[in-house]
Amino acid sequence: MTDIPALAPFEQPVIALERIGKVFPGVIANADVDFDLRAGEIHALLGENGAGKSTLMNILTGIYRPDSGRILLDGVAQTFNSPVEAIAAGIGMVHQHFKLVRAFTVAENVHLGWKETPRLASAQVLEARTRELSERYGLAVRAEARIDELSAGEQQRVEILRVLARQARVLILDEPTAVLTPSEARTLFKALRAFKAAGNSVIFISHKLDEVLEISDRVTVLRGGRKVVTEATANCTTTKLAQLMVGREMVLGGLREAMKPRDEPGRVVISLEDVSAADDRGRAGLIEASLPVRAGEILGIAGVAGNGQRELSEILTGVRKPTSGRVLIEGVAMEDPSPALFLDIGVGHIPEDRLRSGVAPSLSVSDNAVLRAYTEPPIAQGILFKPGAADTLAREIAADAEVTLPSLRTPIRNLSGGNQQRLVARREMRIARLAIVAAYPSRGLDVGAISTLLRYLIDLRNAGVAVVLISEELSELFDVTDRIAVMFKGRVMGLFETKDADLETVGLLMGGQTKQATAPTVEAA
Amino acid sequence: MSGLQSLRLVRVSAVSGRRILAARVISFIAALAVGAVVLAACGFDPLHLGTQILKKSLGSRFGLEDLGLLLTPLILTGLAVTVMMKIGLWNIGADGQFYIGAFAATAIGLFVKGPEPAMLVLCFIAGAAGGALWILVPTLARAYGKVDEIITTLLLNFVALLLVYYVATGPWRDRTTGTVASTGRVPYEMPDFFGSLHWGFVIALIAPVLFGLLLRYTKWGYEIRLTGANPEAAHYAGIPVRRRMIAIMLLSGAIAGLAGMLEVTGTVHRLQGGISNNYGYLGVMVAVLARGSPVGVIAGAALMAIILNAGIILQTQGLTTAAVLALTGLIMMFTAVADQFAHYRLVRALPQAAAATATG
Repeated sequence: MTDIPALAPFEQPVIALERIGKVFPGVIANADVDFDLRAGEIHALLGENGAGKSTLMNILTGIYRPDSGRILLDGVAQTFNSPVEAIAAGIGMVHQHFKLVRAFTVAENVHLGWKETPRLASAQVLEARTRELSERYGLAVRAEARIDELSAGEQQRVEILRVLARQARVLILDEPTAVLTPSEARTLFKALRAFKAAGNSVIFISHKLDEVLEISDRVTVLRGGRKVVTEATANCTTTKLAQLMVGREMVLGGLREAMKPRDEPGRVVISLEDVSAADDRGRAGLIEASLPVRAGEILGIAGVAGNGQRELSEILTGVRKPTSGRVLIEGVAMEDPSPALFLDIGVGHIPEDRLRSGVAPSLSVSDNAVLRAYTEPPIAQGILFKPGAADTLAREIAADAEVTLPSLRTPIRNLSGGNQQRLVARREMRIARLAIVAAYPSRGLDVGAISTLLRYLIDLRNAGVAVVLISEELSELFDVTDRIAVMFKGRVMGLFETKDADLETVGLLMGGQTKQATAPTVEAA
Repeated sequence: MSGLQSLRLVRVSAVSGRRILAARVISFIAALAVGAVVLAACGFDPLHLGTQILKKSLGSRFGLEDLGLLLTPLILTGLAVTVMMKIGLWNIGADGQFYIGAFAATAIGLFVKGPEPAMLVLCFIAGAAGGALWILVPTLARAYGKVDEIITTLLLNFVALLLVYYVATGPWRDRTTGTVASTGRVPYEMPDFFGSLHWGFVIALIAPVLFGLLLRYTKWGYEIRLTGANPEAAHYAGIPVRRRMIAIMLLSGAIAGLAGMLEVTGTVHRLQGGISNNYGYLGVMVAVLARGSPVGVIAGAALMAIILNAGIILQTQGLTTAAVLALTGLIMMFTAVADQFAHYRLVRALPQAAAATATG
């Protein structure tokens, strides 16, 4: 299955994009992009944040209109005015953020807005139809379950089934593995290969180079809105792709070497003792967690997203109040931990959902950049707020974050997700004197930016700052942490010295299973 | 394929102020045109009416004075609503706060004796405090109970209205001149500076500018902007979100109350049942017209004042109140439509589609 599909050179591509151009105010999203998709291939679309991958696919599926260029479907010029028209033509996209109705069942979601949905069908009929579709396409879903009850991987399968049920022959997946556990990702890949074997095509958008190498037949690399190259995957290596993506020689690895060896454990700066906390719906989000956070160490939190990490990071920064248990700072139990308190003692916080809690989307880049510094000079002077000084700091942070801005007055929501992430990360690192809690800091970043970011976290660690790194990427955690804690269903399942931990144990704990053999656990605190 | 098919409306999320302004100018003209056609059909001469309006409002000293007197409360109630919009909340109760502000100022005026300047300052404080007090319950309900402020502020309007009717026709009724619907004359008056136009107008002009500067150039203003834009981010930044919300709501009420105080001491000089003249509700419209810009409130209020003034003039020309209201509504509706339309852009479809049209 790894060989490139034998294709006569004259064979017509299923989809051809020709010289696509798209400009947003202040940003060139796409310029002169050519792209073609053959029948029976998985074509990876690779690029840094803001490289124009999503824009290109949104143009293909009719969400955006291109400013220039044209779309050929089976050699015929075609324009889609909406995703509905695109799916009618057999092109379906599964977005990074699922577009499912959470209160509906799987069967209802699959049949929603579909012309082949029988009128006046009972739940049983819809479920039977869904089960049949699920079997036909080899995507295991529970037809009668509500979307609310499903894991991210199951939801994704529902999305894909929705698209396939509508006889799609082109499936576009935007960062599909971002929300999956390794085993869920393997299941997905199997389904994709089966889909391809039936003569269909897949466009696979990803940041993860190893995945691209594993699953795709060809790769197209975008950079700064332009196409760099389209290449057969067989001719590519991780290094080569990384280089093409960022346009410069990448220094991958070497992170472990950058970590200053430590002789003894650092002092405990923040410590949780049997802390429980409610999640946003009032259910138990964090359950009796005990965790020491030590100076000069990177503590990794492994686990599938949604297993209490959000609550943990918010407890560690004062944003959420514990329902029971104690939060200690430098050994002193805090009466009433608050965000202001943690800010005062120098705890930075890169929140997991920056648009929701890390930035004010409608305010300017400048206003958002000074969120942590507006109370102190030079931005504050007595009761005054100095926009000029705010701009200066914003420019500094943007320069450190290597983000080029159209204007400091632009609302921050107009920046790409990756650029927002970089700005927030730099802003938080600036204030992290004692500790920094980074929740999925590399989510949505490309390899170059991830490596830079991890290196900065290591620098902070080496300077004696306590770093908490919450991540789903086990490789990332094993690369840069001193200790790893695993979370499952709101509980801290174990805490390991990274050098003694093995991937399998951690992986099993992430799924809630403990290995029969006793793992080398380090006692908490 | 027709040429029309190659054109398409596309919605854009961010719209420049200039686009909005252009759309509004066009819509205003369109509304006037529609109104003119209807008036002409009813046997009026729209051109004559138009010149009358211009001559009697902008073209005469009295007209300008009237405009200024209308503008004063409209700017302040519009600002009151805008202030609360800044933190993401709606003050529909500016009318009630206006009444209570007027009520409190009248109470001082009728029952406290002293030198006029000091008494005016006292009235000022009483008016603002009255307005703030009137929004206190909705504020606490919102801050501690998450009770929708739209409902609570609105309902209190009726309480305030009835209270003022009661004192104006009952205990505080003017017994010297024998009027049944208003209190006696408040002896302290805001000094005039342009005919009947008093210094309250200047206060009304300064207030939005001051609030705009506060937002932009103080830490407190930054915190308000951040809280309004994303309360979760504000909490994360260590801002006491609830305290800021309470402060802003009380400020909003105080500004509306101040409008009521100025109306009593500057324009009407008595407390009477209809004194608010719906300024509180019109303030909501002014705030919507201003699109959240404090200084824009002045422009929004100016448009509203001109429309109201034109309405009064039209009534003297034989139009019924209903017709005047219909015209006002027409302009407002067109403006609302224009704001929506400003979000759409007419774009040509893909080049090859256009080319196909040209060649085929």
